[in-house]
Amino acid sequence: MGFILSRRSGRQYSRVVSLVLATNLVMALILEICVVSVDSKLASDQQYEDNEFAEFEDTDEDSPPAPPNTKPDATAREANANVGPNASPSAADDEDDDVEEVVDNRNKLNKESDKSDVTVEDEDDDELDDEEFEYVSESDDSGSKSESSADRSRDTAGGNAKKPDLKITNVPLHLRSNWESYYLEFLMIAGLVIYFINFIAGRNKNHKMADTWFDVHKELLYSNFALVGDDGKKEVESAGLNKETESVFTLWCSGRVCVEGMLVELKFLKRQDLVSVVSNYFKPTTDQIQIRVTLNVDAMDSYVFCIANKKSAQRLAKEMNDINTYCPTKKTPEKYGVLGDKFVLLNEIGEAASVLLDAKVISLLKKYEDCIDYIHFTDQYSGYRLAEDIQPTKLPDVKRMLIFAFNFPSNSSRNYDEIEAMKPLLQLVFYSIEKVRRFRLSREGKMKAERNRRRVEELFLKTTHVQRQEVAQLKREERRRAEKEKMLNDSDPEKQRKWEEKEYKRELKRKTPKMKQLKVKAM
Amino acid sequence: MSTTTAVAPNNDPRRADKIIRYKAPAIGSGSAGDDPLPDYMNVLSMLLSMCGLMLKLKWSAWMALYCSAVSFTNSRINDDTKQILSSFMLSISAVVMSYLQNPQPMTLPFTN
Repeated sequence: MGFILSRRSGRQYSRVVSLVLATNLVMALILEICVVSVDSKLASDQQYEDNEFAEFEDTDEDSPPAPPNTKPDATAREANANVGPNASPSAADDEDDDVEEVVDNRNKLNKESDKSDVTVEDEDDDELDDEEFEYVSESDDSGSKSESSADRSRDTAGGNAKKPDLKITNVPLHLRSNWESYYLEFLMIAGLVIYFINFIAGRNKNHKMADTWFDVHKELLYSNFALVGDDGKKEVESAGLNKETESVFTLWCSGRVCVEGMLVELKFLKRQDLVSVVSNYFKPTTDQIQIRVTLNVDAMDSYVFCIANKKSAQRLAKEMNDINTYCPTKKTPEKYGVLGDKFVLLNEIGEAASVLLDAKVISLLKKYEDCIDYIHFTDQYSGYRLAEDIQPTKLPDVKRMLIFAFNFPSNSSRNYDEIEAMKPLLQLVFYSIEKVRRFRLSREGKMKAERNRRRVEELFLKTTHVQRQEVAQLKREERRRAEKEKMLNDSDPEKQRKWEEKEYKRELKRKTPKMKQLKVKAM
Repeated sequence: MSTTTAVAPNNDPRRADKIIRYKAPAIGSGSAGDDPLPDYMNVLSMLLSMCGLMLKLKWSAWMALYCSAVSFTNSRINDDTKQILSSFMLSISAVVMSYLQNPQPMTLPFTN
């Protein structure tokens, strides 16, 4: 019974098992088919989307609508594909192929793959081939050849779009095709051209002004000096103005009674430099003429006198060595007859000022108060003050000088008659020379001047005392060393011994402190 | 009629025998102290042109050219022309080299 039961159950069992197996097989087949079909569908869809967005915007009738999230990528890829030189022709080709080969078989695959080889970059070929082979095997299973070929064609194009690893080279803008982008360069060149045009114009203007001044004053100069204009060469070849820079001209005149020489400096505005022209627009200055007359030693008495414009007076009091030393206080020249507050007086000896500021000078000061910058007579001229920390070891050399500084009238660059009107100022120079030559201080004045100068000298000696001591010490040491060497070189031993003894005694004497001898009174 | 150096009868102040030739003031202090602008501009132009060459800055090379021009216009007559000419040439070469290396148009340093 168990056996019969088992046999029946065995048969039933086997029937069940076989049923299960069959169903399993069928399900597996169905599943496989489903998976394959889903895969192929997905792939085709993707490529469809890629195709559509990568290649053309007007293939809506063929393709299904794409999901929005893939759109930006696709458009980016499309842009890339469009810009890249390789993508678009291949895409165009593929589109044509697509239309043609919907009907064709897989024997066209190779052709397409070749095309794709030609158009698409090398690294894509392997992948494409793999995909093609995948589709070949799957198409056998699925059986829809047309679809697969369409898929394949789309695939190659999609492959192009999917992998736009196209490097966009940065082609520099070419000069000839793109002038407008070089506008800064043109601006620079234009600026340079303007600068040089201004240089030539300014230089010519300055030259013209200088020549006009010289022509106007030539007669007066030649009547006062034997030599007008020194060009520095051995034999004076070209008499006249000397050009120092494009805006500074000098003239050296010499050969006159009691005058060593006269240096005339025409310091014009820097019209040749555009930068200076612009800065002058903000901070106006005028053309200036400076006349420095160096007198002979016996031609002038001892005094320091200066009458100047307020601003110049401040500057001179600070900068000039002699004014700083001898004329510390500023005074008004009113009591000497110079009215108005334009001028300031820096004077050492009152008597000198009263004599020098006579009626003629005062009238000229009044008439040309805009033109006259400063007038400075001194017998102690030594230039500019040195910096505080530099201490001179000896008193500076002094010269007897008359210094005049006149400003050109502001419109003299345009109107040359204004320069004619400046002639009286040069006449003032010669008048002053004669006056200074004849003027002698009274006894009190002279004594005062002497006292001042002596005081200055003593002060100077005191401040440099320490320095001079050091210098003297150094000299002594030097002398002793020289002697020693001489002694050593000397072969005579007797002499050497004597000298050494002397030296020893000297040292001893120096070392012992100096004691005062006190006389003690015995109680 | 006297030929002495006393005042002549016609009151002529000229004395041909007392002519003293012009002695230019000390070169170092006189010429350099008055106006240091050309020297500063010369150094600045050389500095800018080296910057332009080394760091490939176009604007630096152009500025060097301008500084060189300013130095030239402000220079003294007895200055060495070789110095100014060499700084000019250096700045021109800086400009040319910057464009040969990179033909793009110039961009100013404080824009983009």
